[in-house]
Amino acid sequence: MGIQNTVMKMFNKSIAFGLVGITVTDRYAGVCPIRGSSMAPTFNPSLESFADDYVFLEKFCLDRYKFSHGDVVIFSNPTNYKERCVKRIVAMEGDYISNVNGATRVPEGHCWVEGDNSALSSDSRTYGPIPLGLIRGRVTHVIWPPQRMKKVDRRIAQDRLAF
Amino acid sequence: MTSASFIWNVCKSSFTFGLIGLTVSDRFASVVPVRGLSMSPTFNPPNNSSSFRLFTDDHVLVEKRCLTDYKFSHGDVVVFCSPRNYKERQIKRITGMPGDWISVPFSYDAVKIPEGHCWVEGDNPADSLDSRSFGPIPLGLIRGRVTHILWPPQRVQKIDKKLPRSGLSF
Repeated sequence: MGIQNTVMKMFNKSIAFGLVGITVTDRYAGVCPIRGSSMAPTFNPSLESFADDYVFLEKFCLDRYKFSHGDVVIFSNPTNYKERCVKRIVAMEGDYISNVNGATRVPEGHCWVEGDNSALSSDSRTYGPIPLGLIRGRVTHVIWPPQRMKKVDRRIAQDRLAF
Repeated sequence: MTSASFIWNVCKSSFTFGLIGLTVSDRFASVVPVRGLSMSPTFNPPNNSSSFRLFTDDHVLVEKRCLTDYKFSHGDVVVFCSPRNYKERQIKRITGMPGDWISVPFSYDAVKIPEGHCWVEGDNPADSLDSRSFGPIPLGLIRGRVTHILWPPQRVQKIDKKLPRSGLSF
């Protein structure tokens, strides 16, 4: 009877921790790996490294926060809603972005995202401005590998400033 | 001592139930009220006593399992974040999937729905702000699929995949 009680208690506790973990990951914060080099050198700076960068992303921003220029966000890919992409917000609604065809205005409720590694990034220059509703979280820190642990700044390259 | 442990047990149980409720409503299904007349007569059909609108809004069951495995198709009624204001939710019916051509009203143009997007319209075209205003929406904005009306009791029913009468997609 003693062993059965202990097993039941451990089972209950692990279910409780599992639930808490699921709720926290869905609503508040999570960790995820970065694939690809569209955000080099901020994430995955070199092709030879074996390990992908892992980042800490927070989801409090989906409630009250006002997204702004320079935030690195994770969003559903507009061309395939089952994939996630990570890019930096370069322009918000109402800004104008210089394009090959002249200047595009970012519509209401949308934002313009670009990867830090312009040559290798498929972003708003390909699929246009994305609605803010696609955003799933904001990246705040790199937490792995240990030598690259740092806070992610809100910094944009000089030639991609919106006006 | 027993009252303290009783209170502690009540707190633990309510916390657990609260968590379970949150997880279920995030990942499986939840109940939401439908505001507005853009989906009449499917939701909120016109009736004489418009002053009781607040108490007689239809409440519908929104299932969220569709966000992982399901393939959305024509006729599904979905809840999505408004592309103009990501804090608002809207309910409309999908009338076009990627690759379809939609004819623009009052013009000879046709719009091809890009990959990963869909065209949504309300069942009440006169009173509905939908893809005819803001264009096709990415499927990533969808937050759930409406399956049943749960309130008021006389309107409890399953929602069908009704296709629009005027075939706009070809």
